[in-house]
Amino acid sequence: MAEYKGSVHEHSKKIMTDWYGQLAQACHTGAPSAYIMITGNCVEILRAFDIVPIFPEVNALQLAIRKQSLPFILKSEEMGYSSDNCAYVKCDAGFTAEGGIGPDAKIPTPNLIVCNFVGCNVYIKWFEHCAEYLKAPLFMIDVPFLREDELRKDDLTYVVAQLKELIAVCEKVTGKKFDIDKLREVCDHSRRAEDGWARAKDLCKSSPAPFDAYFDSINMMGPINVLRGSKEAADFFDAAVVEFEEAVAAGRGPLPEEKVRIVVEGPPPYPYYRAFRDLFAAWGAVAVQSTYSTVGGIWEWGYRHDSKKPLESIAEHMIVHNICNRPLLKRYDQIKRYVEEWKADALVIHSIKSCRLFSAGQGDMRDYFTNTLHVPTLMVESDLEDPRYYAHAQMKNRIDAFFESLEHRRLVARS
Amino acid sequence: METTPVLERCRAILAGGAADAVARWKGPAIGCFPVYTPFELYHAAGVLPVGLFGAEGRVELAHADARFQSFVCSIAKSTLELAFQKKLGGLGGLVFHSICDVARNLASVYKRNFPELFIEYIHLPQNPNSAAGPAYMQSELRRVLGRVEQWVERKASDDDLRRSICLYNRARALMRELYALRSASPEKVSAVEAYQLVRAGTYLAPEAHSEILVDALAEIRARQGKRMDRIRVIIEGAFCEQPPLGLIEMLERAGCYVVDDDWVAGWRWFTSDVKETGDPYAALAEAYLNASRPSSTRHDWRRPRHEELVERVRAHKAQAVVFTPAKFCEPALFDYVLFRRTLDREKIPHLLIEFEEKMWTFERTRTEVETFAESLLFD
Amino acid sequence: MLYGAGVDVGSTQTKAVLVDGSRAIVARALIDTGANVTRAAENGFVAVCKLAGIDRTQVKYVVGTGYGRYKVTFGDAQITEISCHARGAHFLFPMTRTVIDIGGQDTKAIRVGPNGEVMDFSMNDKCAAGTGRFLSAAAEVLDMTLDAIGPLSLGAKDPVKLSSVCTVFVESDIMSYLAQDRTPPDILAGVHRSIATRTMSLVRRVGLEAEYTMTGGVARNVGMVQSLQETLGAPLNVSGDSQFMGALGAALFAIERAEVASRGVKEKVELGEWKDGA
Repeated sequence: MAEYKGSVHEHSKKIMTDWYGQLAQACHTGAPSAYIMITGNCVEILRAFDIVPIFPEVNALQLAIRKQSLPFILKSEEMGYSSDNCAYVKCDAGFTAEGGIGPDAKIPTPNLIVCNFVGCNVYIKWFEHCAEYLKAPLFMIDVPFLREDELRKDDLTYVVAQLKELIAVCEKVTGKKFDIDKLREVCDHSRRAEDGWARAKDLCKSSPAPFDAYFDSINMMGPINVLRGSKEAADFFDAAVVEFEEAVAAGRGPLPEEKVRIVVEGPPPYPYYRAFRDLFAAWGAVAVQSTYSTVGGIWEWGYRHDSKKPLESIAEHMIVHNICNRPLLKRYDQIKRYVEEWKADALVIHSIKSCRLFSAGQGDMRDYFTNTLHVPTLMVESDLEDPRYYAHAQMKNRIDAFFESLEHRRLVARS
Repeated sequence: METTPVLERCRAILAGGAADAVARWKGPAIGCFPVYTPFELYHAAGVLPVGLFGAEGRVELAHADARFQSFVCSIAKSTLELAFQKKLGGLGGLVFHSICDVARNLASVYKRNFPELFIEYIHLPQNPNSAAGPAYMQSELRRVLGRVEQWVERKASDDDLRRSICLYNRARALMRELYALRSASPEKVSAVEAYQLVRAGTYLAPEAHSEILVDALAEIRARQGKRMDRIRVIIEGAFCEQPPLGLIEMLERAGCYVVDDDWVAGWRWFTSDVKETGDPYAALAEAYLNASRPSSTRHDWRRPRHEELVERVRAHKAQAVVFTPAKFCEPALFDYVLFRRTLDREKIPHLLIEFEEKMWTFERTRTEVETFAESLLFD
Repeated sequence: MLYGAGVDVGSTQTKAVLVDGSRAIVARALIDTGANVTRAAENGFVAVCKLAGIDRTQVKYVVGTGYGRYKVTFGDAQITEISCHARGAHFLFPMTRTVIDIGGQDTKAIRVGPNGEVMDFSMNDKCAAGTGRFLSAAAEVLDMTLDAIGPLSLGAKDPVKLSSVCTVFVESDIMSYLAQDRTPPDILAGVHRSIATRTMSLVRRVGLEAEYTMTGGVARNVGMVQSLQETLGAPLNVSGDSQFMGALGAALFAIERAEVASRGVKEKVELGEWKDGA
């Protein structure tokens, strides 16, 4: 069915393919590489050392989209993982156990495992397990949870100190001396990409929105999350913005007609990504904003990496400006702003079994939006990685009932 | 095992729960989950830290089920339910920290729904390797104490804090003695008794707890006790949501001597005394970073938990490990994978049994444990 | 005379209701769905027309609902059973503001507006605990029919406590209690209470607003109605047609459309016709 299919889509595919090529090459050349997590990370520091970043989350995601995740999940359950453990981790553990990582594979054994702990306890477990399986050194960056309204100076000091400790480790791993100017350059590339991404999302305030800020965001999350800090990512967004601005000028959106504007919360069901998208497209529903697209960073409201204070701005991003290190209540605020500023008609919460950070307590979120703010809200459930938790008939039933009710209420209101 | 006057005192304290604890204290009280939180801070400001254990099967989840999904542990949901039903027993606030992702979100749900409660979140360090760790931890301790002081409108001096540290040190040392005694002579003190003696401390001021422990230890040492044919096991995995007492009883009856466990670990957190002189914040930070017991909620790769478990099995001359995680407890279930792998490597037998709050019959589980114990006894 | 029909294709049973221009229920039919869903839909429709004594061509509009609604190939529109239950309940009890539907395999709570429109809904469609299946499993263990368990449960003196988490475990839990000499009425009351508690969670999600109407097959179980009323703390409207509520709601949507169509002008896009394609 319908989707945004411009050159942005093709370009992002190429960028991701290039990155995978880099990884495959590192398997042979032994170029230094490091595991790191997507959310609130310090990939800029790795790039300043030309260390190839590896994102196990992205690998898990790709496996799920290609419907290859289940055998690895089953393998992990043989190893003792529970049905209540995050399926991202399980897929990765199974993949690793089946020889997916190493000199003969497509993903190299990392020289270093950098765990940016930003509010997700599972990150810690995941990388502990990787360190154990791959016998690679583990470096933990403890990022204090955002527990007050403002950034605390002591928290910033703590994170910056750890970043410097990481730099010392990177020097040992690569045999290179740290080059602050290189880091500044990398931060400038990040800033430019963030400008582009923020502008692109802003364009979705138009009616119709030029792209689906949930389903099409997945394509753009590659460049902003995986390639942030590279010139390619910055160029990518410059080009994407031009294309989206054209679409807005032409009044063109991803669907023939934008009938309902929604905000979507939560990751998608990757193994059924296309089918899930079609269920919404059938009702002319377009996402104008999403929370999942901000896991890498929340750039909508002006925060940027700053080459004038690289370590401080990296640390501040890790503490304040990504969705995972922020309390659930701040996510409610974020969604509320999205609904208001992007003029959405409804909120859709896709609750996933694997991720308690996203999902635990979404019933309260639903209560807040439905009963306090009176925003029509739909909650559906499945999983982001494990195909066994997706029940198509039930999913369709709930989505249909919701849009029927929205429509019915519009008809009643009009008469 | 017959009952004793000390044990009766404990049971009465446990039966009275948080409500009686607050009534006895006659001051502000704060709810703390069974994983470590700096009790010493709250106590120094005149606030009694009281154990939060959920509803332990006593209430129906009429409200909490609508907020949290079915695959979330019972303690999170029933603790929330208690607040909805106004059954928190006089607690004026709760302290949360990143025990797990659910706990973190629970703090937010609490904050939104119960603005009248004092809710605080403490971020305990997860990077013990960093040279900046001590400074961070001290700053966090000061921040939290500052918030508590604002809440109760009372300041805590360094002396107050040192005094609280001493009191909790004493209780912890006595509990370490109790555990050592049980490991050496498990026929003298049952797991249920030890559990209740420790648990009583979660509803008492530390001095009162120490009194009970002193009396209990004297009485236990004097016992004879007949050694039975049971396997020596280490219990692992129930560091937050606690198993129903019936499960602990069942474990013993099914053939286990519990020689070590992680029940109510937060009240038995430090492996040695916290320094009682000098800067109390530095002392607490140092103790947290370097003298904490291993836990699934704390990252410390200097000595991975699965290797430490093996050391502990050997130290206690245990024959097996029984994992008793609460159903849906994510950190425990993750750790189980590496524990299992390592125990298999070391050829140490192990068993996994999950429990949940609403368990009233243990027949199914008992058969499993009996079979396991028999297989080891009749080797 | 104008007629509208609703065909509710569920996974075990198919219900059909025929309604005329005066909104009177002319006939109702109930058959087993079986393996061929398309045929079941067709047979249900044929049966209800036969019972009404009319030819199928006299039915000017058919609405399909239920999980098998897209198999109602002769239907003019498909509307979810959430919307249909709301419509049907509101029609029979105009002060309905909350509908509670405990079906064989799912349970729904629906908050309804003054015009019968769905304001919010919450479903348990993934887990058998809290649905009719839980009752069936319990009845089987006690070697009783589904019809018998409701009245028997009313005689309970001290209902047992069941872990309401899993339908698979209800069997061993019940056997445990039987071994402890607990009586079947006490056990059954415990089972009903367990479902009522789970249902209340769903109802709380959509908000409690009187009047409450219970729909679905399980509403015929007096024990369940009693238990739910106790847990809710409020009276429940229950119709003799509770099992046909989905089909009735669908038929009401159908007769409205039939009337619009007969006026010749398609005034606006109607519910269920909005989305493109199945």
